[in-house]
Amino acid sequence: MARMSYRDAIRETTAEELRRDDSVYLIGEDVGRWGNLFGASAGLLEEFGPERICDSPISEAAMTGCAIGSALYGMRPIAEIMYIDFITIAMDQMINHGVKYHQLSNGQVRVPVVFRTQGGVGMRNSSQHSQSLENWFVNVPGLIVAMPSTPADLCGLLRSAVRSDNPVLLIEHKSLYFTRGEVPEGDYTIPFGVADIKRAGEDVTIIATSWMVLQALAAARTLADEGISCEVIDPRTLWPLDKQALIDSVKRTKHCVVVTEAPAEGGWSGEAASVVHEHCFAELRKPVRRVCGMRTGIPYGTELEKAVVPDASWIGDAARELLA
Amino acid sequence: MSDNEQLMELYTQLLVLRHFDEFCYDLKMKDLIMNGFHPYSGQEAVAVGVCSLLREDDAVFSTHRPQGHSIAKGSSTRAVFCEMLGRRGGVSQGIGGPMQWIDKPHNFFCGSIVGSGLPIAAGVALAFKRQARDSVAVCFFGDGASNTGAFHEGMNLAAIWKLPALYICENNQYGEAMPVQEFVPVSRISQRATSYGLNGVSVDGMDVEAVMNATADALEQLRAGQGPVFIEMVTYRFRGHYGGDPEHTYRSREEIAVWRNRDPLTLARTRLLARGYSEETLDDLEASVRAEIEEDMEWALEQPFPTVEQATDHVMIPLGQD
Ligand SMILES: Cc1ncc(C[n+]2csc(CCOP(=O)(O)OP(=O)(O)O)c2C)c(N)n1
Ligand SMILES: [Mg+2]
Repeated sequence: MARMSYRDAIRETTAEELRRDDSVYLIGEDVGRWGNLFGASAGLLEEFGPERICDSPISEAAMTGCAIGSALYGMRPIAEIMYIDFITIAMDQMINHGVKYHQLSNGQVRVPVVFRTQGGVGMRNSSQHSQSLENWFVNVPGLIVAMPSTPADLCGLLRSAVRSDNPVLLIEHKSLYFTRGEVPEGDYTIPFGVADIKRAGEDVTIIATSWMVLQALAAARTLADEGISCEVIDPRTLWPLDKQALIDSVKRTKHCVVVTEAPAEGGWSGEAASVVHEHCFAELRKPVRRVCGMRTGIPYGTELEKAVVPDASWIGDAARELLA
Repeated sequence: MSDNEQLMELYTQLLVLRHFDEFCYDLKMKDLIMNGFHPYSGQEAVAVGVCSLLREDDAVFSTHRPQGHSIAKGSSTRAVFCEMLGRRGGVSQGIGGPMQWIDKPHNFFCGSIVGSGLPIAAGVALAFKRQARDSVAVCFFGDGASNTGAFHEGMNLAAIWKLPALYICENNQYGEAMPVQEFVPVSRISQRATSYGLNGVSVDGMDVEAVMNATADALEQLRAGQGPVFIEMVTYRFRGHYGGDPEHTYRSREEIAVWRNRDPLTLARTRLLARGYSEETLDDLEASVRAEIEEDMEWALEQPFPTVEQATDHVMIPLGQD
């Protein structure tokens, strides 16, 4: 075990994969000289050179298409979209091409691309640099969507993503880069579709993703003092979804809260809630509660951007109401 | 191969593409080709001239009008007929349809999002370059595609990294009903390539030998690792944008007649006659090509449609096997 930041877990895992397999390369805006906005690839250019740490022009479509095309012919690119907000420019290449080729070729071609990006609030960057857009991608057949919340999960999921022959979208969170945690040594991988119980509990299941996992854990600590025992589950991949883990937990606790930073409407939080309703209807004491970001563009400012997305107090209130 | 034999081979391929297309047109009119068929008739010299010089390991990316490129790259006419008809046995086993399929053994890809091929071809070229192979990635697209962001992003990327990508713009004078003079502000689309530091050339896309010669020069540069090449092929589509479009809304009969006078098949045939081939030889050739293609079509019409299970297989590689 080594204790490190989420940011460093990205850099270490990327470096290890680059060392392990010559066909892996990183492409993105300022991943080389700058070493990524957060330092998540600092020093890699020096070790691996410009052919494997490719500073891309400001051309999200080109960089994404380039990753896809090269993946068709033996390369294993990690394409970094600096902010998930910019992924709109890359989406045609991802969705209409990268994710379609395997099926269109009847399984003859594989597209082993990792699309890495980051979303959410935390940098006071307002509405074009702070969104949570994961929901769009969960609805695309053929695409794996991972949202690691800890350095260890980041490490295990990123490694699995690089080694998978399926296209994977891995969404980091800008408020997580400088959080720290233990990361297992060695060749640590996490299979897609396996949730993790971040805290075991008896009275209510809190299903949360990405940075919201930290908020849920904070809520659970407060609620524990009030005698409410929370189980916090992180699905880690939104698709494939570890339905069984959600079901098993809710069958025991009989109460469920789903937390996402993204707005509720039309989103994955509804999918998770449906799974619970469909499978735990008999056990549930009350309908599932969703705690999600407000349906608004993210406003500018330290206080305001935090005010429109869930925090521990929103989650705590929802759990108390359910158990009241 | 002598020049004569070579032209004869090119002419045979032109005939294959023309008759294939005309049969498809009829199939579309009968609704046997369901939707998405875009006739290639008139532009055959481009596909034939370019692809005649490609190797199997060179990759080709095409558009919503891919049948000519695919067949010229080596796809079987049977497999392409089947794909058009949505039958098992198609290049994509009938699930792609007339504008999107992949023929991996021939390194052929196409898709129906205008302009989208340029970045992907750049990526394929990047892989070739990194692997120190001298294969090239060829990308066909239209005049209309030159107005998309992906066109500019892709070309820029290929140019700054000197990738072995051959960009072939088929300027057939229209994007759907939009005339190129009104929708592109430069008189030659190849001018757009010069702003990316490329030598943009414009070539008579009705003359299969001119197309081939320009391609030969390009391939020399590409295989020598000197960076991407852009060629505008000036051409014309004889039929509507899609089978049965309201052509009169955007072009006149007179205009079509002028271009039909420069039919790439007639040009090649006239040259063959001048070089000593007889009318009879060429007529016999055409009849036998047509008969073979008709046979392929009849065969394709016998093939089954994919089942839902077959059609939804391979959405992704099963977890654990990926
Ligand atoms: C991104 C996108 N926008 C619009 C369309 C609809 N569309 C299909 S073909 C076409 C015209 C394309 O013109 P051009 O690139 O000149 O190719 P051509 O059809 O002439 O071969 C259009 C607009 C599309 N398929 N993709
Ligand atoms: Mg056109």
